[in-house]
Amino acid sequence: MELLQTIIAKMDLSKASIILLLGVVLFGGTLVGRIFQKWKIPQVVGYIGLGLILGKTGFNLISSRTLLNLQPFSTFALGLIGFMIGGELKIKTIKKYGRQFITILLMESLSAFVLVFILITTVSMFFFKDIRIAISLGLLLGAIASATAPAATTDVLWENKTRGPLTTMIMGIVAMDDAVSLLLFAIASSVTGIITGQAGGNFLYSILDLVWEIGISILLGVGIGFILYRIIRNFLDEDKILAFSIGAILLLIGLSQLIGVDVILATMAMGFFLSNFAPRRSTETFHLVEKFTPPVYILFFVMVGATMNIKGLTLVTVVLAGVFLIARISGKAFGSTMGAMLSKAPKTVKKYLPFCLFSQAGVAIGLSIIAGHTFPGVIGETIVLVITATTFVVQILGPAAVKYAVSKSGEAGLNITALDLIKQSRGKDIADREIPVIKVNENIKNILSIFAEHDNLYYPVADDNNKLVGVLSIEKLKDTFMASDLSEYLLAHDIMDKILYTTHLSTEASEIYGIFEKSHVASIPVIDEDGKVEGMIENRRMQQLIASRLSELKEKAKKMEEV
Amino acid sequence: MNFNNLINDENCVFLKSKTKTEAILELLELVEKSGKVRQMENLKKEIFYREQIMSTGIGQGIAIPHVRFEGVDSPMILAGLAPGGISDYDSIDDQMVKIVIMIIVGDEQHKEYLRILSLVVGKLKEKSFQKNLLGAQNNEEIGAILKGEVK
Repeated sequence: MELLQTIIAKMDLSKASIILLLGVVLFGGTLVGRIFQKWKIPQVVGYIGLGLILGKTGFNLISSRTLLNLQPFSTFALGLIGFMIGGELKIKTIKKYGRQFITILLMESLSAFVLVFILITTVSMFFFKDIRIAISLGLLLGAIASATAPAATTDVLWENKTRGPLTTMIMGIVAMDDAVSLLLFAIASSVTGIITGQAGGNFLYSILDLVWEIGISILLGVGIGFILYRIIRNFLDEDKILAFSIGAILLLIGLSQLIGVDVILATMAMGFFLSNFAPRRSTETFHLVEKFTPPVYILFFVMVGATMNIKGLTLVTVVLAGVFLIARISGKAFGSTMGAMLSKAPKTVKKYLPFCLFSQAGVAIGLSIIAGHTFPGVIGETIVLVITATTFVVQILGPAAVKYAVSKSGEAGLNITALDLIKQSRGKDIADREIPVIKVNENIKNILSIFAEHDNLYYPVADDNNKLVGVLSIEKLKDTFMASDLSEYLLAHDIMDKILYTTHLSTEASEIYGIFEKSHVASIPVIDEDGKVEGMIENRRMQQLIASRLSELKEKAKKMEEV
Repeated sequence: MNFNNLINDENCVFLKSKTKTEAILELLELVEKSGKVRQMENLKKEIFYREQIMSTGIGQGIAIPHVRFEGVDSPMILAGLAPGGISDYDSIDDQMVKIVIMIIVGDEQHKEYLRILSLVVGKLKEKSFQKNLLGAQNNEEIGAILKGEVK
């Protein structure tokens, strides 16, 4: 341990290039993520944990200056997250769930605000003996409490390929309660300013400023989205679409920063515009951008961990953090349950949504830093420390809770593509094991009746020991019609095809799929170690199976919408 | 594909053999002599494997050992007459086999294979054709009858 500390002390990472650091973060982050995935803990927790170890809380390998240098990556990540969430929000869904959305959103964010406000004010009164400080802390922390981090939450949803009413509701809520939080914070900040006589006083001005900010963000997002759509609609080349889309997102983020409006809101507006007004091209675009996101996300979460410093905690802040956590989680749980009941949301939403709103990250930390700047002294410092500590806790707790909720609700794994399904399957999942095996000495007459009774087009041919010797196809059988007088003399052996490929029940489906792709054989017999027939995989039937399995999953997700 | 072009007088013989195995081997010797087939051993195995699955003695004194085989480029037809009869051919009607027509085609020549088989079976099922064939005096006559040059 001492040796390690000496080595670390000797290392001056401020000299290390950003590139090296990026390498360490991405390499280590992916590795830790993999390990956590194996332990069935959301990967996000691993990324943040790595950040904690590397950052101020741990070995302090990532200095504040470096963090500042890497800030653009975080903003980029937030922009991408906003874009992806915007893409998930469909007008159709909003129309369908509109009332539920608004009711639950208001209930959960306001409940958290009110509960945190009451409890924090009471406890602060006990510690600080100053009603002004107590109310200010209550208001500001209450406002921050209403925010939920979209990044960590949606990352778990994507990782678990969820689909269904709960997923839709989570997406909508986490996307929009930041706006509620910003609004509440603006009000709280103005009130605090008036109470304490510090800056940020004009109440009306704050609200107008916020409305302006939200309006401009949306306008900017839709504008850039429209331009992107106009340009890429004639593109066929995927690489170009990707480059242009990322370019447009960067452009939008940069412009938002330049004007000083909300980055997430702007990119969300762009994603929303693209997926709703240019749906055909946008599916492809979102798919491409999604593939691009993992490294940016990893970097983002590692940096969230690195930014947190939980060393400076005092007894007062620890107690306040505890109160904040309890009040916020109870408030969110109570509010979302009440909201779901009032709006008659599906029962999975009512039951599991409370578990999905714990996470806090960027917005909470950002607001706490703003509070720190605006109200220097006890209020500012306390808020920064409390939010750092609670963010740390909910970042670890939140994703795990979301994972628990989506698994329990049955929505995990319902949003998968054909490719995902193939990746998850093995030979046994796609093989037709009930297929009749044609004996090598079967005559044409009997073979014809087998073909007539089943809808397979290819059958395995086996010898007396059930050992595979060939494949009989409908084409070859058809040829025998021109020699119908031979039907008594011709046997399966005479008209079967040679075995070109075989596979096993344990073979990964992706490998089998690969054979179909490159060889154009229509079917592959499945055999055991001794070469005995265990079934048949027909390309056509495999595709049918995958299609029906996918629509089954879709149907399942749809069924959950019922109350 | 012209059926008659596939009939070669050298491949039409009177069999000396009295048993099924010997008769088939005798015809296979002709195949070997023709030099048209690679891997004679494998061909032998294939022919006998097919007989093992089910005898190609189709009744009325006729046997048609046949196989698709990857070691041959163009179809081959060989004819062997055994006027004395082969008693152990295991025909479906248990009769002695007097006419053996061996058909060997390439592995991918599935359609040709069926066409040749169909033609041969069709011709041989006619009693008058059988009688003509069994009345042949020499190899050339067997060939001519098979080609339909002698009525």
